[in-house]
Amino acid sequence: MSKPVVHIANLSLKYQHKPVFQGLNWTINRYEHWLICGTSGSGKTSLAKAIAGLPHSYGNIEIAFNPDSDLPATVHYVANWFQFKDLEGQSNFYYQQRYNKQSAETTATVKAELESFGKKHALQLNEVESILAALGFSELKDSTLIQLSSGEHKKLQLVKALWLKPQLLILDLPYNGLDTLSRKNLNTLLEEVSNAGTQLILISNETELPSCINRNAEIKEGKLVEVSADERSWNEIEVSDKAVPTFLTEAAPTPSYSEIIRMIDVNISYGEKHVLKNINWEVKTGEKWVLQGHNGSGKSTLLSLICGDHPQAYANNFHLFGNKRGSGESIWEIKERIGLISPELHWYFDPSATVWQSIVSGFYDSSGLFCDPGYSKKAQTDELISYFGLDEYKNTLMNELPLGKQRLALLARTIVKNPELLILDEPCQGLDQQQTKHFNRLVDELCKNGTTLIYVGHFESQLPNCIEHRILLENGAVKSVGTTIERFESVENFEYN
Amino acid sequence: MSNYFNTLPLREQLNQLGVCDFMDSAEFLDGVNVLKGKKLVIVGCGAQGLNQGLNLRDSGLDVSYALRKEAIEGKRDSWKNATENNFTVGTYEELIPNADVVINLTPDKQHTSVVNAVMPLMKKGATLLYSHGFNIVEEGMQIRKDITVIMVAPKCPGSEVRAEYVRGFGVPTLIAVHPENDPDGKGLAQAKAYCVGTGGHRAGVLKSSFVAEVKSDLMGEQTILCGLLQTGSILSFDKMVEKGIDAGYASKLVQYGVEVITEALKHGGVSGMMDRLSNPAKVKAFEISEELKDIMRPLFQKHQDDIMSGEFSSTMMADWANGDKNLLAWRAETGETAFEKTPAGDVKIAEQEYFDNYTLMVAFVRAGVELAFETMVQAGIKPESAYYESLHETPLIANTIARKKLFEMNRVISDTAEYGCYLFDQACKPLLADFMTKVDTDLVGKNFNEGKDGGVDNRTLIAINEVLRSHQVEVVGAELRKAMTAMKTIKTA
Repeated sequence: MSKPVVHIANLSLKYQHKPVFQGLNWTINRYEHWLICGTSGSGKTSLAKAIAGLPHSYGNIEIAFNPDSDLPATVHYVANWFQFKDLEGQSNFYYQQRYNKQSAETTATVKAELESFGKKHALQLNEVESILAALGFSELKDSTLIQLSSGEHKKLQLVKALWLKPQLLILDLPYNGLDTLSRKNLNTLLEEVSNAGTQLILISNETELPSCINRNAEIKEGKLVEVSADERSWNEIEVSDKAVPTFLTEAAPTPSYSEIIRMIDVNISYGEKHVLKNINWEVKTGEKWVLQGHNGSGKSTLLSLICGDHPQAYANNFHLFGNKRGSGESIWEIKERIGLISPELHWYFDPSATVWQSIVSGFYDSSGLFCDPGYSKKAQTDELISYFGLDEYKNTLMNELPLGKQRLALLARTIVKNPELLILDEPCQGLDQQQTKHFNRLVDELCKNGTTLIYVGHFESQLPNCIEHRILLENGAVKSVGTTIERFESVENFEYN
Repeated sequence: MSNYFNTLPLREQLNQLGVCDFMDSAEFLDGVNVLKGKKLVIVGCGAQGLNQGLNLRDSGLDVSYALRKEAIEGKRDSWKNATENNFTVGTYEELIPNADVVINLTPDKQHTSVVNAVMPLMKKGATLLYSHGFNIVEEGMQIRKDITVIMVAPKCPGSEVRAEYVRGFGVPTLIAVHPENDPDGKGLAQAKAYCVGTGGHRAGVLKSSFVAEVKSDLMGEQTILCGLLQTGSILSFDKMVEKGIDAGYASKLVQYGVEVITEALKHGGVSGMMDRLSNPAKVKAFEISEELKDIMRPLFQKHQDDIMSGEFSSTMMADWANGDKNLLAWRAETGETAFEKTPAGDVKIAEQEYFDNYTLMVAFVRAGVELAFETMVQAGIKPESAYYESLHETPLIANTIARKKLFEMNRVISDTAEYGCYLFDQACKPLLADFMTKVDTDLVGKNFNEGKDGGVDNRTLIAINEVLRSHQVEVVGAELRKAMTAMKTIKTA
């Protein structure tokens, strides 16, 4: 028996001054590929970062690389979050920026980014091509970093890791934001690198996993407990039966328009690149829609038009809330009626605001709070914070919270004003299964009172029940529009062109 | 044309310099209504032009861009900026005659020719908007009497004007109405509505005058903002190299240090910045900044005097007429400095290390901010105006140095600021020669606290804290910062 690859003895870990693990012991032997699951905030990311040598931890982590392996003797950590900088070293972006053309040239291209990564780690450029192709990324090589969607940023991180083939690869929520086919292909790629000698630690609560995973563990109450594959405890889902705050179930006054959205031949392009092509779409008041399409199909761009975030809205023929866009309305009048969550909104959100401030800011559609909200808004916010179980984090800064808790706070922000139109773009990214189920039930509850819904989700099992219409995008065009009776049959069959 | 300020009697000079009113948010309750349905035509589409236009349009206003024929035919960047964001673009002749408000966002140097081209085309009773008063005050541009002349000056780079707007906030803004050109009395209402359109009303608006804005803006940019940061950076780098500190480390410390240090200034004023030092380092920084203030005071005063008398602007305009001979020579000289040519090393410098190892810059910043503020106030500029043009803008300029050093700073700031910056730098370096011979690596390059026990005398420390905290720039600053605490951190390091 060879030496264990990772040996952890009596490790104590803190997250923001609070103990996460005390006296943790864990051994990873050669040929083992671990799955680590656990609820949001259980300490998965802290442990992963400790093994990767990132944060302050006390105790002993020994990593014995295989001297006979050709693979780089290194631990590579793919974070659940991504970070990039512009060409001047700044990372000071706002989420609408990727829709501005003049912003595009201020960040590096994907190609340049990959070249510099390859150079740093002495990798062969030709080896990356097949990985790019498998993840549907080849066409994005000339895109700049600012133009990538969150799913595409995730893929770029994965491409780098798979290209590097380190001896130990830690992937933290790698499936977040990936479409169905990309997930499948990622699993195949992971199986390939594991065959070639890379050992995996996969942090995920998903069920579709690479077949090489041969050990399973769950983090629960500060302990790492090994479980068998069937025992992964995500099946025991209890959904809390807390009553939805009453201010969220009040029916909105009937609006004077019957269509919330009417798009006529909407086109968006950046130079030669057509991102949306002749989109025709009507959403009537009170309808519940799911918007689907693979990564890069144009979903985020379509939603950005509706939210008043896209400068090219002014050159297109479309109506929002009964007014033609660009007829003298301000984007704040539009945003006032919309509750929005998206991966991009989360990514660019002001991390220096407290949970409480972040949630109240939903009344003003701002990133951070800039005024005194007054008594009733404060009271509603407090009620919602309790409903989401965030009381103890009320005054905590967003960037001091784990991803899942940040997401819960932003979901509370999305609904706090009980908006006419909910736009939920992969709202449950980073949440565990119980939280996802719980949130979707809440969405069902909210939608009973005439709220209009547009929901983006890749998986049928993770959608709220109230959805009745579906629009499918492919390469920037509408592939199909229909009701969910003829449901989802083609979703699994996407191909990249 | 003659210098407008110099045509005024002293009474009126003081009167206009003294316009300074930090506006209550209730002043903006009418929103953009005054400009709703009006045709806003922006001349120029650089960073300010484009980003202000995007904000105004998103606030429901009708915005288009007038560009010179050559810019349109040559498909220059300004044309691309405007058309790619789906704005209407046309020549002066096409768009100006129908404009209700013409917004001049071209560089200072072009103002005279732009305004001369635009004015005859403007309809009767229209409004001309500037974001800087140089053309009116220093060049004495005369505007047709039926035209209303206003100023709206966001105190941030164009990219920030947009970034803060879309996150639901804005940037601090200065507004003014030219007393010679407000025939219908609508100037202030329009300036306020424009502020709402760009989001400035959420971050604090200071009502100023063309005169106060120009005289304080010139002073700030020449002395503390650009001049002193340039001089301090170059002297610090050269000192470290002279004393054997690794050049890559020195380059990085100087490039990013001023940004990290002034970030503390932005949040907590001069005392907030000084509080980041250990007690012994604070005492030392206080002592040397007092010394620096004494050495540099006459230079600051000379700059203010030349600005007030018009000497500065006439010298600079003579250089314009001379094909920018001095400006270009100084610019080239800056590009050739050792600091500029040494890339930042691949070393990690922790945030606190920038304070501990760069006490000298903390002293430079304190001396410069306080001197600029004091000199402006002595010259009749109100403390609030002086605050904006000294302390408030320092972190913004520091950010440009962090991006790409001094060359970048000088590229981003206006030509006017750049010219003044070089003037200051040329005079300041020899002035500090003796002082710099006494400076060692404990003040720049190495940790000041190394080998010290950290002890200080209680009474000394209390006295120093008292002096720092009771300075007028701190008192005024605390009040103004309340309105803009929510501003997002700009960080590079």
